Amino acid sequence: MKTIKALELAVALWFVAASTTAWSQTGQAASAPASAQGTSGMMASGAVAPAGRRADRALRRRVYGAIGKDKEISAGDIGVTAKDGVVTLNGTVTEAAQIGKAEAIARGVPGVTSVTNKLMVKKPFGGM
Amino acid sequence: MKLQSSSLAVLIFFSAAAHSQSSVTLYGVLDSGLLYQSTSAATFQPTARNQGHVYQLKDGGIYSSFWGMKGSEDIGGGYKITFKLQGTFNTTNGKSGLSDTPGTTALFNQYATVGATGPFGTFDAGRQIVPMIYAMAETDVRGAQYFGSILTAWLGINQAAGWPGTSTNAPIGALYDSNALVYSSPKFYGTTLALEYAPGGVAGQFQGGTRESAVLKYSNYGLNLSAVYYNGHDTNPFPLTYPTAPATPATGLDNNRFYYFGAMYTISGFSVSASYAIARNPARTNSVDFEMASGGLGYQFSPAFKITSGYYYLKDRNNSANHSSEFAVGAEYSLSARTRAYAQVGYVNNKGTMNQTIIYGAPVAPGVSTTAAMVGIRHSF
Repeated sequence: MKTIKALELAVALWFVAASTTAWSQTGQAASAPASAQGTSGMMASGAVAPAGRRADRALRRRVYGAIGKDKEISAGDIGVTAKDGVVTLNGTVTEAAQIGKAEAIARGVPGVTSVTNKLMVKKPFGGM
Repeated sequence: MKLQSSSLAVLIFFSAAAHSQSSVTLYGVLDSGLLYQSTSAATFQPTARNQGHVYQLKDGGIYSSFWGMKGSEDIGGGYKITFKLQGTFNTTNGKSGLSDTPGTTALFNQYATVGATGPFGTFDAGRQIVPMIYAMAETDVRGAQYFGSILTAWLGINQAAGWPGTSTNAPIGALYDSNALVYSSPKFYGTTLALEYAPGGVAGQFQGGTRESAVLKYSNYGLNLSAVYYNGHDTNPFPLTYPTAPATPATGLDNNRFYYFGAMYTISGFSVSASYAIARNPARTNSVDFEMASGGLGYQFSPAFKITSGYYYLKDRNNSANHSSEFAVGAEYSLSARTRAYAQVGYVNNKGTMNQTIIYGAPVAPGVSTTAAMVGIRHSF
């Protein structure tokens, strides 16, 4: 009985994760106007925080979408935070060369003004 | 004459091309440190006597020391042929690591594989670290390290299920499988699938000694998810008293099943992880039926310094008196790109016949609590 519950939970988690991906993939075009809306909203009213945060979240998703497309880098090991175009990368990659590669990918995402790179190397199980 | 020299030129050209496209790398890691442990035991027997505290030079504070060779040859069209030979050794005495047979070591006990990689994914044949261990390491903040992690917790289940600790042939799941054929898919929207089949090679018994496993992983948006299914036949045929008592002959008995679900999330320098697993012997569920649960929390202070911690709980579903809780915390500091210093502390509260260790290779006394601390260095070449 417990096994079945755990299985159900795992399957549910998977769908949530997969749907997040699917959404961001299809929503790539849609997220650009959303960020534009965010900036205009910021200028029009005093509601700076929510609009800015929405733009930050959209940028964060775009950076993840770009890094996630790389065949080697596991974007699940990387923490991406975005604030007004400034993107911070922390977490781990499996090869030293991927530190620069992940940063380059993030820099190439429209809307990213600078990247703070705090990535460190963590070899897969058994390695360094 | 002209024809001859041109064909020679062609030969030279081809040999040069073949030469430049293949590569061999010699590599390895040495990991050694000082360990203090408040209890110890000579074996993993549930009745093993507490031999008291121990202070020792210990190999493998993060992972085992090892050395190896790997190489690849580009055969064109996006395909490569690869090989890997890798074996552990103990830095404190120079001995080679364990093999599938108790009392026997193997030079390349971690990897002896030849394989291919291409647009289809990767395929490797031979002895290797199986996908389930990577899946567990990627959903454990402690990274399935040798000191207080999902690895020592999983080994704790194996000890409770009768693993003597003298071979790599485990009764529940596996770290290494011999004769393994492993396929790993390319990444598809962050999801990868790995499938393993290991023919047993037992004469007259098609199912004898076979292993099969499937691992589904997701990795994107700072989230790692892992789901593991592992099933083995005739695993751990060696009794605790082997070689005095003989090994059980392979008959195709399905006696090793393991399910694992894990998740890890990384954001703003923090990592959190959680997992749940069920381990049982389908042929003897009334004696081997365990649960494992874990939680982890880590913080990365800088690209060179991080602290990781984990909590690991084991439960015997047949006897509630047997359970075990372990907590471990470790700090790792990179002195250079190739050298890392570490300090770690662990505490385990074993009840009943449980003997979950704090660090791989240092048995603790069953049924009591144990504390261990270790400082060491890990250097790669």
